[in-house]
Amino acid sequence: MRRLFLILLVAAWTAALLPAQLLQLRITGLDGLASKAKETVDITLDSNLLQMAGGFLAGNGKDKDAKDIKALLAGLKAITVRSYEFKEDGQYRIEDLEPIRAQLRTPGWSKIVSTQSKGEISEIYTRTEQGKMVGFAIIAAEPRELTVVAIEGSIDLNDLSKLKGLGVPAIPIPDQGKKGKQE
Amino acid sequence: MNLDDELRAALRREDPSPGFAQRVVARTQSRPARKFWLPRLIWATALAAMLVFGFVGAFEYRQMKAERAGRDAVLALRIAAEKLNMTRDRVLRRESADSREN
Amino acid sequence: MLTQAAAIPEMLTDDRERFAELVREHQAMVFSMACRYLRNRSLAEEIAQDVFLQLYRKLPSLESPEHVLHWLRWVTAHRLIDHSRQQKRRPQSPLEDAPEPAAADSMDGADPLLAHTLRELVAALPENARVVMILRYQEDLDPMDIAQALDMPLATVKSHLQRSLALLRDKLSRKRGVGK
Repeated sequence: MRRLFLILLVAAWTAALLPAQLLQLRITGLDGLASKAKETVDITLDSNLLQMAGGFLAGNGKDKDAKDIKALLAGLKAITVRSYEFKEDGQYRIEDLEPIRAQLRTPGWSKIVSTQSKGEISEIYTRTEQGKMVGFAIIAAEPRELTVVAIEGSIDLNDLSKLKGLGVPAIPIPDQGKKGKQE
Repeated sequence: MNLDDELRAALRREDPSPGFAQRVVARTQSRPARKFWLPRLIWATALAAMLVFGFVGAFEYRQMKAERAGRDAVLALRIAAEKLNMTRDRVLRRESADSREN
Repeated sequence: MLTQAAAIPEMLTDDRERFAELVREHQAMVFSMACRYLRNRSLAEEIAQDVFLQLYRKLPSLESPEHVLHWLRWVTAHRLIDHSRQQKRRPQSPLEDAPEPAAADSMDGADPLLAHTLRELVAALPENARVVMILRYQEDLDPMDIAQALDMPLATVKSHLQRSLALLRDKLSRKRGVGK
């Protein structure tokens, strides 16, 4: 029993010391979907590329949207997007998402929103460290479209939700969620 | 003049900016060279010229890489925003339906 | 002339300077296709560079200058369409919503304003129709060649041409009365 306790203690301590990059979400298990999709978006931007992107937008974006996007990019370390659009239903299985969801069940990640209806699943996860959001992930699964977005770094969800004239009010961040429901 | 002729005139070919071919060749430099049969002197001269163009090519390549990264970042954030708001809307619709039932 | 030389693999894969000649021979075609499609010179150059880099790797398996030409058209067209689909989530202005072209003073066939307008209208066409129009009017390919270049049914190519021309005529005739 004492040995088991020591093992768990060491494991917890080791997990607490894990460098940030080992907690970074890896979008895996979806590679075979590209060949079945009629449209694929596959974007991987590390901190170096994000820096280049910010520099490019600074010099080339004159409209407010470019400024907003540059501001969003400022706190980010990595963005990964995999999005597949299919011609017909049934081109992927929900089980294909399990390698990703397994990572999102590890300590540090929290599911803040989950909806499911008529074959559509949407889940939003955040990762926080010392009260500050350092990671964000969305899984949006529809009959003919599957999208996974993983963002590492600091991002304001309210600002993100306002991007490019979608015109909807900001999504409540976790500690404001209950206030939103009461209204 | 009919529309066909006007379209041909409007869409006729034009060259890219000067030095395009050199820039392409400069990018091939990162690849392992295949067999070289050129005489050594000519090869050395060609190599020196490519080194010069390579610096220019590398700078312009980085600029294009930055532009591509910028475009990708914009697209990625727009997709994230779209899915974020879609999820939010579904939650609101569900809560609205729940409150009507109650 | 490069196109009169012997087998391509033997000549080109060993010699970057001759590859540069090959690029110069075809750069206007590849770049112009991209530029007409994207209406963005720097992006067009980037994509054109990528196409030629791909050609550099592919050269050993290409059999003749004609094969190179066909291959370049095919790869360029498909890269442009793929690029367009990746950008599809961005707000787009379909041709029907494109602003009416401003009236020009001259009906001269070399009218730069008209040429500019036509390029804008072509660039606003749906992706497949756009590349068909570019191959027809930039490369002067007939519909059968276009169908082969794009691996597209001939009837589809003809449909794209007819509908696109009708749309362009409609847009132009409202302002200029440009004929058939």
